[in-house]
Amino acid sequence: MQAWIERETASFAASELRLPALRSELDVARRYVEEAAAAFGFDADSCFELVFAVNEAVTNAIRHGAPDERGLISLSVVADVGRLTFVVRDCGTFAMPVLDTDTRSEHGRGLALMASVMDEVQLHIKPGSTVVRLSKARA
Amino acid sequence: MSSFYISDDTTRDDVVVLVAGGEIDYAASPHLRECMLAHIKANRQRLVLDLSWATFIDSTAIGVLTGAATKLRKADGGSLAVVCTHEKVLQIFAISGLESVISLYSSCEEAISALAVAG
Repeated sequence: MQAWIERETASFAASELRLPALRSELDVARRYVEEAAAAFGFDADSCFELVFAVNEAVTNAIRHGAPDERGLISLSVVADVGRLTFVVRDCGTFAMPVLDTDTRSEHGRGLALMASVMDEVQLHIKPGSTVVRLSKARA
Repeated sequence: MSSFYISDDTTRDDVVVLVAGGEIDYAASPHLRECMLAHIKANRQRLVLDLSWATFIDSTAIGVLTGAATKLRKADGGSLAVVCTHEKVLQIFAISGLESVISLYSSCEEAISALAVAG
């Protein structure tokens, strides 16, 4: 079983999409996630959750982050054993969102929503670099 | 290119009905906000937003709906009703905790009736 999983994972090619930091590019990012998640074998529900969570991370990168010198941000995907991880990178310096537990608030839900549908969300921050890793295991 | 669209408004029983479909993301949300705020500013304070043809919403769309609902609640007799049948969009409402803030209905008729009675 282990050998089968490793062979299957090896057949899934890691890839990277570099896209302009423009809100009009969000649907491109969503299609990329949808295709990668389906190719990895996630069911429709999990595909939707991955699309939703990664869309939030890319939205944050476009909205609050900073692109590289060519105006681009990075979205990549890597497979581990039975687990897919999407990585969103921008060149901005992360600013901690104001935590607001009021459900009537208009802002500040993105990170909590990502975490609610992913198995793991990691935030790697340093000056000039924000990296969000979103992982989900296949059932 | 995002598939978002928003329909021309119709008014039934003094309730304004807006239909927004496709994917409502950070690119589309400003259009939705602008449209809803135009009605609120014009004192049309009973709004139905029909999302029956929406296939995706994100946190910025949720923010627009929450903001509109809050403004309408502060207005005398104002109210927002949202029609939603898409299972995944309903799931986003649920995980956002918005079911307690925004009234959800499964048909436009039901939403209009609820606001007409409330008014």
